[in-house]
Amino acid sequence: MFENVWLIPLFPLIGFLINGFFGKKIKNEAVIGGIGTLMIFLSFLVSCGVLMQLIGLPAEQRVFEKVVFPWIHCGNFKADMAFLIDPLSAVMIMVVTGVGSLIHLYSIGYMHGEEGFYRFFAYLNLFCMSMLLLVLGSNMLVMFIGWEGVGLCSYLLIGYYFEKKSAGDAAKKAFVMNRVGDFGFLIGLFTLYWWFGSNHNIWTINFVEIKAASHLLPYGGVVTIATLCFFLGATGKSAQLPLYTWLPDAMEGPTPVSALIHAATMVTAGVYMIGRMSFVFIKSPETMMVVAVVGACTAIFAATIGTAQNDIKRVLAYSTVSQLGFMFLAMGVGAFGAGIFHLMTHAFFKACLFLGSGSVIHAMHHALHHGHLHDDAQDMRNMGGLKKYMPITFLTFLVSTIAIAGIPGFSGFFSKDEILWQAFANPYHGGLNIVLWGIGCIAAMFTAFYMFRLVFMTFFGECRINPKVKDHLHESPLVITIPLMVLGFLAVVGGYIGMPKLMGMLPNYFEHWLDPVFELANEYGKEYAHVGHHTHALEWGLMGLSVVIAVIGITIAFTMYMANNKLPEKFTSTFPALHRAVYNKWYMDELYDFLFVNPCKGFGNLLWKGFDVVVVDGIVNGVGKIFMGLSAGIRGLQTGYTHNYALGMTLGAVVIVALYIFR
Amino acid sequence: METIFFTIVAAVTVLSGIMVVTCRNPINSALSLILTFFCIATLYVTLDAPFMAAVQVLVYAGAIMVLIVFVIMLLNIRSEVGRRYTHAGIIGTVVGFLMLVLTFNFLNNSSLTGAKGLITTDVINKIGHTELIARSMFTDFLLPFEITSILLLVAIIGAVILSKKKI
Amino acid sequence: MDMLQFPANIAAAAGVNFAAIMPEVILSVIAMALLLVNVFINSEQKAYLGYLSLIGIVVTFFSVVSGWGAPQSGFNNSVLQDNFSLFFKGTFLVSAFLTILITDQYLKREECNWGEIYPLILFATVGMMLMASGTDLMTIFLGLEVLSVSLYVLAGFNRANLKSNEAGLKYFLLGAFSTGFLLYGMALIYGSTGTTRVAAIASYISQNGMVLSNPMLVAGMLLMAVGFSFKIAAAPFHMWTPDVYEGAPTPMTAFMSVGPKAAGFAAFLRVFIVALPAMKADWSELLWVLAVLTMTVGNITALKQTNIKRMLAYSSIAHAGYVLVGFTAGNAVGTAGVLFYMLSYAFMNIGAFAIIVLVGRKGEENNNVSDYAGFGFKHPVLGMCMSIFLFSLAGIPPAAGFIGKFYLFSGAIQAGYVWLAIIGVLNSAASVYYYLRVMVFMYMKDPTEEFDWLAVSPSLALCLLLSVAGVLIPGIVPGTLLDLAQKAILM
Repeated sequence: MFENVWLIPLFPLIGFLINGFFGKKIKNEAVIGGIGTLMIFLSFLVSCGVLMQLIGLPAEQRVFEKVVFPWIHCGNFKADMAFLIDPLSAVMIMVVTGVGSLIHLYSIGYMHGEEGFYRFFAYLNLFCMSMLLLVLGSNMLVMFIGWEGVGLCSYLLIGYYFEKKSAGDAAKKAFVMNRVGDFGFLIGLFTLYWWFGSNHNIWTINFVEIKAASHLLPYGGVVTIATLCFFLGATGKSAQLPLYTWLPDAMEGPTPVSALIHAATMVTAGVYMIGRMSFVFIKSPETMMVVAVVGACTAIFAATIGTAQNDIKRVLAYSTVSQLGFMFLAMGVGAFGAGIFHLMTHAFFKACLFLGSGSVIHAMHHALHHGHLHDDAQDMRNMGGLKKYMPITFLTFLVSTIAIAGIPGFSGFFSKDEILWQAFANPYHGGLNIVLWGIGCIAAMFTAFYMFRLVFMTFFGECRINPKVKDHLHESPLVITIPLMVLGFLAVVGGYIGMPKLMGMLPNYFEHWLDPVFELANEYGKEYAHVGHHTHALEWGLMGLSVVIAVIGITIAFTMYMANNKLPEKFTSTFPALHRAVYNKWYMDELYDFLFVNPCKGFGNLLWKGFDVVVVDGIVNGVGKIFMGLSAGIRGLQTGYTHNYALGMTLGAVVIVALYIFR
Repeated sequence: METIFFTIVAAVTVLSGIMVVTCRNPINSALSLILTFFCIATLYVTLDAPFMAAVQVLVYAGAIMVLIVFVIMLLNIRSEVGRRYTHAGIIGTVVGFLMLVLTFNFLNNSSLTGAKGLITTDVINKIGHTELIARSMFTDFLLPFEITSILLLVAIIGAVILSKKKI
Repeated sequence: MDMLQFPANIAAAAGVNFAAIMPEVILSVIAMALLLVNVFINSEQKAYLGYLSLIGIVVTFFSVVSGWGAPQSGFNNSVLQDNFSLFFKGTFLVSAFLTILITDQYLKREECNWGEIYPLILFATVGMMLMASGTDLMTIFLGLEVLSVSLYVLAGFNRANLKSNEAGLKYFLLGAFSTGFLLYGMALIYGSTGTTRVAAIASYISQNGMVLSNPMLVAGMLLMAVGFSFKIAAAPFHMWTPDVYEGAPTPMTAFMSVGPKAAGFAAFLRVFIVALPAMKADWSELLWVLAVLTMTVGNITALKQTNIKRMLAYSSIAHAGYVLVGFTAGNAVGTAGVLFYMLSYAFMNIGAFAIIVLVGRKGEENNNVSDYAGFGFKHPVLGMCMSIFLFSLAGIPPAAGFIGKFYLFSGAIQAGYVWLAIIGVLNSAASVYYYLRVMVFMYMKDPTEEFDWLAVSPSLALCLLLSVAGVLIPGIVPGTLLDLAQKAILM
């Protein structure tokens, strides 16, 4: 199967070509969607084969490089179109093709009747191909091509509803921010390439070769510069501080796109890249610290903003940013395996959440359309009580929410807890570790809070949709609910392959699986690690604590968005004696709101409106303005008079000659 | 003696060159140009290049300039009126001054370090300037000579294309 | 040679070797034949001249291909047809071929359908070829003049159009002005070394080390650099570019932005790498500054352009800057990158101009970026072609532009110019903005026009097809072309 690995990106490419060129003529949605879905599913089958073969090999032989064709050869520099199969890329291709297939299937139902249906599937297939190139590339250049390709597809798909101005703007924003990141990636690539070449005459960008030569890299210094540049690339692609603002705006795209690109796969490319180059990153303690701090800050920052949003997709978008922050936190504290693990479980539950929200929006839209109402189909204040109408969506959504909130027994718990524990226990950042852990815990609490707020507002309580159209609310078709059920199932069980050793029931398969990839990094890390000993009791204790935190978050959400709404009336009628108490509780809540929630919400709003819009966008726009000003200035020199041009030339010549003669 | 002669001729060359661009009446400009060409021809003579001098006078000062003067007169081009671009003039003066400083510095420090060719004054006197030019044109510089013919052809086509009334 | 002795055999003394100038001879003969044919046909039949010149180009191309790997020197080292010049000749022929394919439709539309344009394009190509294979400063200079004079006429070819007139005249005046710099530089080099043969200059300098400290040589080098910089439109000698490109007939703009630039680089490389390797430290310093200036000025000014021809003019300035990066590196990778890039640039830029020709109509060139609103929907295939060209120009994989840029910048890195490469990458990141703006208009704005006047003639379709292939194939499998480029470098 290894020899046929090139088939994996090829199938989606074929799908793209067929749908892109002939889609307009085919017209039949079933055929177009079928081709798109079938192609990615075939990739999934090949990926399964690759995975099986990889499992069959002993751990230390699980690296294979397949050169598809020689690409750029130039002197001592060589970059082939080659794919690298190892446990890490195997995980990634399984996630991309697996989740990808489900989302393709879902899209057949969701995009039904849209103008440009073929265009959507063509782009989606192109995206899958680029993403597979990104994760399979055995050198940085192939990876970079995938990197640019996914950016491009993301741009095209965000702007899918191009007739909306906001969609076009969001697309542009995403592209520009990604370009800033790409620039960092290229600089990092060049720095590393130049350093190896000029110091050791190893002109290479191949991951395997760099890994083999990585012992030559110094700690800090040039590695810090290179890795910080790579990390800049990662922040752009993975929507971390300060380049994250494009992701919430990216929700302008169709929901399956948000699920596939802006939750499950593309945005995790930055995490994957750090994992791929863990042996370089770990050589720079400074960069590791930056990664961890940026990750932790993004996690809590985005989580607070998430509490203040009413658009269902925007909540999920900020949640994605926050969860990505967790992954970076993991990478930054050297818990590479845990980071990738969270990447995988997050792909399951977040894809499920997005698709679930899509199902809700679909139903809402349908119902509102029937009543000729122009209410916002994505605003949670228009929803409520939907569990009665959409039981499957509700159930899968709930399961995934529990998973993301970190309740034991669900996948999110295992991965998030692993990250938090390693943030606490890993020996790289000394005193900072506990701070990182603390931030992570608070962010986890916010996560539980806003996710359950979302669930309560959407599925519980009274139905706030216009009563006229209530009858038109109904569950989505099977083609939509089947992917939901599969993903919901995975959101529950996906975590068990990476159960902490501590629990003793299963060995941590996942970590063992990735060991060969991250072994070397851990080896290098020992150089500056402050090894401390932690007892099992402590680990159990912290695990318990993180559960408690999650429960607190859920409880706050419950009291605010469930208890308040209904209980007061019931209490007043049935138990008049308790009325006062409940009434007082309401005051308590007000107080609580005043003391805790409102400041937080206010803070969230402030960050969103203030920092996000003014500072970040301001900087981005400001740089643009400076360049535009320069541009206008230079344009002013272009007078159109020939003698001015001649004068300019002479001046240039005189200056050049003078510089040389008088130096 | 030679130096004094050179200095005078060179000064006239430069002055008449300046006149070409500063005169407002095109006829005056053209006449100044003829003077410049004559001076250059004189310089060729002092460099032992009589053929070049003759060609310069015949072709440039003679044929081409007569043509130019005719055209000016036939088309009745008036002397230039209207504003001049003063700010460009100021910057131009500054640039010109810089150029002068550079040139002065350059002349002070440079020397002719090139290999001396086989064509010395003796050889010229023995064989004759014209034949030597012909020899070098048809041996060492045959290709450039031929390319010139294409260049002229292109120039003629261009002139026809851009100026003929009806093509 | 004894000067007192009359040479017995003039042809032998002149070193006549037609094999060394075969492509030039073929092309000039065909051009002259076309001039004759032109007299005997009426204005409806002028397109045949185009077909004949295409055939001529193909024949010449075969002679170029057959010369590969067998260097021919002739005319007492006035020309040297080596792989380097052959690669460039191939590039020139490609750009002439593509240009002629889009010329006919434009000429008919603008009603300036005069047959002389084809011989002029061919003569310009001859001039470029002589610049690439010239190993004598005189040959190079005359090649440049043949090229320039043809271009002055081509720029002003649309006589009825004032802008075209202006472009021709401006180009002529400034071109003549810049020729002065070049020629003065050559004269100074001659004064300090006593020869105009490129190889002889190098050997004279290496034998007489004291020449290097002669300011005359340095000034000569600098003034030649100024002259060539004008030709390749490097800042600060670029100011003619936008005005001339905007005014010239669009197919000629396409031609000018590609062929002459490549020719300028060919001569620039030949003179500096072969004749003046001893001064590499000096000139690479100068080129470093020129490269940075050119990239930055080109890209920053392009940001605010609304006229697409002007935007592409500034973009071509920026591209000259990228190529200068590879030249500054001066090593095998960088030089091969220059060759590769110029060829792929020919495909992508002429392709983009072909679309511009299509979108315009009689009296209304539709050169504003906003004229492209909705173009991508009305004509999906053409829109896709344009997107591919723009992506390649922006340097986004898998187009050839990306590979080329990667090559140029990695050459700079291998030579130790890390900062130069970083500035280059920054610039190419900024350039995405203005290329993408065109795409934003094409795909994200409502169409204001029906674009119903668009008629793709077969030759234009062929041009687009070739250009797309020329952008994508070297982008995806660049191996063969890079191999050729590496065999063609001067080292």
